[in-house]
Amino acid sequence: MFTNTLFLLSAALTLGGAIAVVYSQNLMHACIYLLASFFGVAGLYACIGADFLAATQLVVYAGGVVILMLFAIMLTGGTGNNINRYGLEKIAAMGNKKTYFFAGITAILASLIVLKIIANVLKDQSTTAVITANAPTVERIGTLLATDHILAFEISSVMLLGALIGAAVISRPRKERHD
Amino acid sequence: MNSTVVTYLSQSKELTNAISWLTKALGFDASSLVAFVIFLVACLIVVGVMSTIGGLGTYAERKISADLQMRIGPNRVGPYGILQFLADGVKMILKEDIIPSGADRFTFMLAPFLCLVGVFATLAVIPFSSGFILADLNVGIFYLVGMASLVGVGVFLGGYASNSKWSMLGGMRGASQIISYEIPATITIISIVLLAGGLSMGTLIGGQGGMPQEWYLFHNPFAFVGFFVFFIAALAETNRAPFDLPEAESELVSGYHTEYSGMRFGLFALAEYIEVFVVCGVATALFLGGYKVPFDLGTGAILVEKLGMDEMLAKNIGQLLEMGAFFTKTFALYYVVIWVRWTLPRLRVDQLMTLCWKYLTPIAIFNLLGCAVWMYAFDGKSIYSLIFETAATVAGHH
Amino acid sequence: MINLGSYLGISFALFICGILVMIARKNIIAILLGIELILNASALNFAAYTKFSNNNLDGHILSLFIIVTAAAEAAVGLGIVIRFFQLRESIHIDDAASLQN
Repeated sequence: MFTNTLFLLSAALTLGGAIAVVYSQNLMHACIYLLASFFGVAGLYACIGADFLAATQLVVYAGGVVILMLFAIMLTGGTGNNINRYGLEKIAAMGNKKTYFFAGITAILASLIVLKIIANVLKDQSTTAVITANAPTVERIGTLLATDHILAFEISSVMLLGALIGAAVISRPRKERHD
Repeated sequence: MNSTVVTYLSQSKELTNAISWLTKALGFDASSLVAFVIFLVACLIVVGVMSTIGGLGTYAERKISADLQMRIGPNRVGPYGILQFLADGVKMILKEDIIPSGADRFTFMLAPFLCLVGVFATLAVIPFSSGFILADLNVGIFYLVGMASLVGVGVFLGGYASNSKWSMLGGMRGASQIISYEIPATITIISIVLLAGGLSMGTLIGGQGGMPQEWYLFHNPFAFVGFFVFFIAALAETNRAPFDLPEAESELVSGYHTEYSGMRFGLFALAEYIEVFVVCGVATALFLGGYKVPFDLGTGAILVEKLGMDEMLAKNIGQLLEMGAFFTKTFALYYVVIWVRWTLPRLRVDQLMTLCWKYLTPIAIFNLLGCAVWMYAFDGKSIYSLIFETAATVAGHH
Repeated sequence: MINLGSYLGISFALFICGILVMIARKNIIAILLGIELILNASALNFAAYTKFSNNNLDGHILSLFIIVTAAAEAAVGLGIVIRFFQLRESIHIDDAASLQN
């Protein structure tokens, strides 16, 4: 009963947040709705016993990505002019009817493709696999990361280092040359 | 699967009897209903007690600062002015709730609640005693780090939404400070997790003992340094002096909550004081032995053996002793936090970032490596037991 | 109620929302928000298949790597956005049309 309630709440939070991200016309608000959606996804992870994933989702997204996004919005927001450098009027930054129309068409196409792929699963609900009770996953994930997936683990650590240095180099203010 | 307050209470016969009686009376399995009610009551108790502690924190802060400055401090409301926080609360509720005209209303109203939710959600894994922990999650300390970072979002949004340059600067400083100091704090936590071999609060405390030489603080030199790294980083994460740049009065009026008034301001203040309690509790649990009391008094086994007490009663007494130990250590740290605030001057912004990135983070990484090497070299034994063993061998040879 | 179908449905809805955000918006940061939604949808799928299909934890590991990659992508992406803003004073995607300065 607990798990069902948690699942329903999380699903509502996830979907509500995602839909609000689509319809919000304010970028700051969209970012807050995105945070709500991430929390919902963490709840969904918790419902299927993925406790470590849920905590990682909270740490990485709520603590890292969303604050980064908010910083970027704050550092860049507020100075939108609607004329581009050729003197033509630009499309509004948060989209207008035309962009939503094309986005809708693309979404319908994509959903048709994805539904075709997952149709078998949705039709056939009688999964043959035995669904076990939720067990702690931390130790098993640690063992797997240090044995079977060690190469991917190391590569991702190198990638993170690269991202760290790359982000610092890219966003560093360049000194004006005097010549 | 995780031990909770319900797991502890279900050891008693009365609860089992009550569940079976309710099952008979209601006609369905009442155990989950009873568990829900127990959780609800326990949550209400924790939230109520923590709000009181947060309120009393403001009183303690004034009284201790007055003590340090040779003043008397609040002394009008109630005996020794102890009801001052209630008077403040009533004043805040009665005050007009002003929303600035240029403010982003939705975000402005949301920000204090984000702060409060982030702090209260961490209370779920704070180990008050071995039985009274709301949920001893497998990923306890990790969950706590994730939830506590919600406070940073709240601070930032509060500063951004106020449409005031002081709030804006305060919020920006607050968010950058919180996400910067999260790194040394988390790395230090990982080094303790390495010593304990688990992320849950039960495992982290279970590796320690009641006596000071069994604490992780004195386990090895790296953990000893790690405690101070963690404590400094925690001070900065809670925006306390000497790291209270987000609310630096001399530069920023009062930082990210400049434009807040009435109860919304009160919620920010309450969140801050409870967060100080939470980080003190985490420091206690990680380094100072948490709720452990000496001589196995916590399980009550010795009381049953020597005094012939009822088992459940002895257990309950043990729980009370454990709670006393936890709160004593935590309040001692709380006193240190307030003491530091009224003793040290505030840092500059560049000094703050220098301290984090050039000193604390490398030291924390070095501690992590040191702990790993210590675990490998000495088979996870603490420095005390190593000395003890060596002394015993030397004495045995003579 | 908690079965593979419902999880796939939720993840599908998240994916479609992400696609909508990515295409309808012209703000680079909003497009990054959409990408985060899509990555979340895929990570959710992996976790759901782990639970309901085979019960070894490889799906969790893949989800973890997706989260790690998403964090790195957000950091680099926002770095690029801020650099672009310093050069052009705009974060409109249509302004990013030339290869050189």
